[in-house]
Amino acid sequence: MGFQLLKTSKKFLLDFYLFIFVFGLIFFSLTSYASENENSWEAILNKSSGDTVFFHAWGGDKNINSYIKWASDEIKKKYNISVKHVKVSDTSNVVARILSEKNARKNTNGAVDLVWINGENFSMMKNNGLLLNQNWIFKIPNSKFLDFENNPNLLNDFGVDTEGMEMPWGLSQLTFYFDSRYIKIPPRSSIELKDYILSNKGRFTFPQPPDFVGTSFLKQVLIELISDKNLLQSNYEKAKHQIALQPLWDWLDEVTPYLWRNGKSYPSNYLALTELVADREIDIGMAFNISHASNAILANRLPKTVRSYIHEKGTLANTHFLTIPYNSSNIEAAKIFINFLISPIAQLRKQDKNFWGDPSVLSMDKLNNQWKNKFNQIPRGVATLSNEDLKMKLQEPHPSWVKVIEEEWIRRYGSKN
Amino acid sequence: MYSYLNKFLLVLLIAIIVTPIFFGILGFLLPSFGYFPILDKYEFSLNYFVISSNIPGVSKSIFLSFFTGFVSTLLALILSQVIILNIFETKLYKLIKKIIAPLLAMPHVTMAIGLIFIFTPSGLFFRIFSPWLTGFERPPNFFIIPDDYGFFLILGLVLKEIPFFILVSISAIEQFSAKKIFNVGKSLQHSVLSVWCFLLFPLIYRRIRLIVFIVIAFTASVVDMSLLLAPSTPSTLAIQILQKYQASETNSLFIASNLALIQLLVIIILILFWVLIEKIVSHKLFFTIFVNCLTFKNNLIKNLTFIIVSILFFLSLLVLISSFLWSLAGDWYFPNFLPKTLDIQNLVEFFNENKKIIFSSIVISLIVSLLACLFVIIWVELTDGLKKKRQYIEWFIFLPLFIPQISFLIGIQSFLIPLNFSDFLVPLIFVELLYVIPYCFIILVPSLREISKDFLKVAASLGKNKFEILIFIKIPMIMPTFLLSVAIGMLVSFALYTPVYFIGAGRVTTLTVEALNLALSGSKQDLGVATFFQIIIPILILLIVGWYNNNFLKWKF
Repeated sequence: MGFQLLKTSKKFLLDFYLFIFVFGLIFFSLTSYASENENSWEAILNKSSGDTVFFHAWGGDKNINSYIKWASDEIKKKYNISVKHVKVSDTSNVVARILSEKNARKNTNGAVDLVWINGENFSMMKNNGLLLNQNWIFKIPNSKFLDFENNPNLLNDFGVDTEGMEMPWGLSQLTFYFDSRYIKIPPRSSIELKDYILSNKGRFTFPQPPDFVGTSFLKQVLIELISDKNLLQSNYEKAKHQIALQPLWDWLDEVTPYLWRNGKSYPSNYLALTELVADREIDIGMAFNISHASNAILANRLPKTVRSYIHEKGTLANTHFLTIPYNSSNIEAAKIFINFLISPIAQLRKQDKNFWGDPSVLSMDKLNNQWKNKFNQIPRGVATLSNEDLKMKLQEPHPSWVKVIEEEWIRRYGSKN
Repeated sequence: MYSYLNKFLLVLLIAIIVTPIFFGILGFLLPSFGYFPILDKYEFSLNYFVISSNIPGVSKSIFLSFFTGFVSTLLALILSQVIILNIFETKLYKLIKKIIAPLLAMPHVTMAIGLIFIFTPSGLFFRIFSPWLTGFERPPNFFIIPDDYGFFLILGLVLKEIPFFILVSISAIEQFSAKKIFNVGKSLQHSVLSVWCFLLFPLIYRRIRLIVFIVIAFTASVVDMSLLLAPSTPSTLAIQILQKYQASETNSLFIASNLALIQLLVIIILILFWVLIEKIVSHKLFFTIFVNCLTFKNNLIKNLTFIIVSILFFLSLLVLISSFLWSLAGDWYFPNFLPKTLDIQNLVEFFNENKKIIFSSIVISLIVSLLACLFVIIWVELTDGLKKKRQYIEWFIFLPLFIPQISFLIGIQSFLIPLNFSDFLVPLIFVELLYVIPYCFIILVPSLREISKDFLKVAASLGKNKFEILIFIKIPMIMPTFLLSVAIGMLVSFALYTPVYFIGAGRVTTLTVEALNLALSGSKQDLGVATFFQIIIPILILLIVGWYNNNFLKWKF
């Protein structure tokens, strides 16, 4: 009897110890995790003083470059971190660089610390494992101003789940512009545009794909012409979807001989379009930035009579992001810079037409009244459409379509002369 | 003992050049067959040749590279000779000798941008005649630049290579008694043109033949100018390589390497083709035809070519003027011939935002150039004793210029990236050295070897060792040439685009790279500003050297 008691008590004791041990372990790890979490941002800040971040971002636009310069100066003052803006002409080159580093097992000391990215470039990085760990964006303090729950576009990039591996930075929409002195009613659909091009030979063009805006324009036309838009949301399969692209090629077959320079030469990107519109070589320009025309007017690059418009059924709209490559030389400092770029002060300046005019990604409900007022008081540029006018937005096709459209365009129109 | 050390150092110098070249070639040669152990690829096949040949428009690209490379070299060579023969033994000749360096100083990118400023339908050329003559209220829908066959690329290359050919021809002329031959020929009632063609040119050509091959290799694979002036649907082979290399696909390295190999083959075939033409031209039959033509249409040919040369010179000038105008322009829309408003703010702003880049461009080029001159001086010291072997060894110096830049850089990247340097500047300086040393060599070596041995014997008899002789006697004696060589080295480095683009990877950048970025995207005003600095800085460097040489070295000789 006594023996049995001893036995059970022994077992009980054993269980008890085990319980204490496990519980203690959980408790300890939880507390330490919490304290580490609280301190980690501070620790990151202290550790990163004096570091340098190489920020690879599209660098053709003076306004954007000046804005990035401003942000770099601020972060230098605040945290003694130097940000070097590497002015990229095509983000896919950056992805190619990181990919070749990964292939060559250069897993540290990468050339790229931070990238401005979205769409197929992000999808490419994700598929090749070139990104930092999942969900890091939620640990950035200022991410509390973003409403991830109610705004699915902040976690979705061209239909690809971002898995918290890129931080939303701004919102874009494909916008066209024209000089109202010479054109009264611009063409507001792909069909109208085709008629316009055919009756105004040489006065329309688009940036040469695979340029980002050029490819986006092709996607815009495709979306307007395709019979079943839902197809575009699925992964491209040649056998199933090749036929769906036919309306786009038919449209281009008709239009191409009537393009600027007979469709034998194309401007290299959307800023080159601005120059062409300013000199009246062409009639209609386009940009993936709702404030582009206003900015250009301010900078004396477009006449004051230029106005923006979008197509009746809407235009492509998307979010653009910031991400950190897995082999970044300076992950911590890059995070600090990201934290600053999504702070209310930085987002406010970004939305201001005098600096960039790119819509903020912050949720007004999460800001205090003081910031809310400031955001509400930002004036819009003379050639910038109102939110009401920009209401019609089209969803980006799945990134797998991009490569197909680009390659097929190059094969059909970009290599025949 | 001493000679062993000598030999060792010489081998070391050769290794500095040959090692990167070896790996650069290996780095695109192996992957073009699908074999690259560093990336765990061991299959060896001709598969990538098939893939390359299936790239849309690749045959047109190869044609473009071949065509533009051949025609631009030929034209530049002919026109450079026309210029020299027209001014030989005149006051202008002495002037040209002085101002040729600044003409060389203009980077290729600048020339290309200037041509765009002038010849696009909204450019300066049409503005001159619009709307009063042409009736164009808006730019015409003409298909001018870039054209289908790369004629504008050829024009840009010709404008850039003429000064280079003139420079090397002048230094070739000074190596033999050209004046005597020239005068003897003229006293025998030959025309200037035929004296030049049959007596002088063969002697010059023999001395600059190597340079001609270098120019062929360069023009057939140029990247920066092609980006701006070549047609884009499709572009030249060099641009196809660049685009494939930058495509974010897993096998893009292999396709690009394969194209890089094809690029090398194109250049080899082009040089063989050139040698064939040399054979034909020097043939007796051709010679007789040529003689008959020349005596017949002597003046016509002379005048015609001189007009072409004048137009080209005027164009270069216009390139400069239009770049300066754009850098100061406020609002300047078609068809205004001059800017409506002038604005210095663009210049100030650009300078403020790019101070660091301008500064680092200058510092990098200075370091590279000094190292290159040092290399050349040591080289001359070490090879002094070698007599016959020297010619063969010196071939190594020029080796980097024969391999297409883009191919070499892709190859060297294949090895550089796995090495995982955290530093991007040192590899860049090293690679730039390969491209700068040959130019410093061309300028520095003749004067170094011309120093009279008597001076050195006297110095040696006074107990000076070789090092002291070098520092206190040789270098001071050739100080003007030394400084010129440093300056030219700086200019060559300053104008390099492709090496900075690849090796610098955005971490190290220079003004030339920035200017090209702007050319592809930014406004003409910003572009004008970038071009302004690109022209001004080399000229400043040359002015400083020239001023120093004039004021401080007069007492020397």
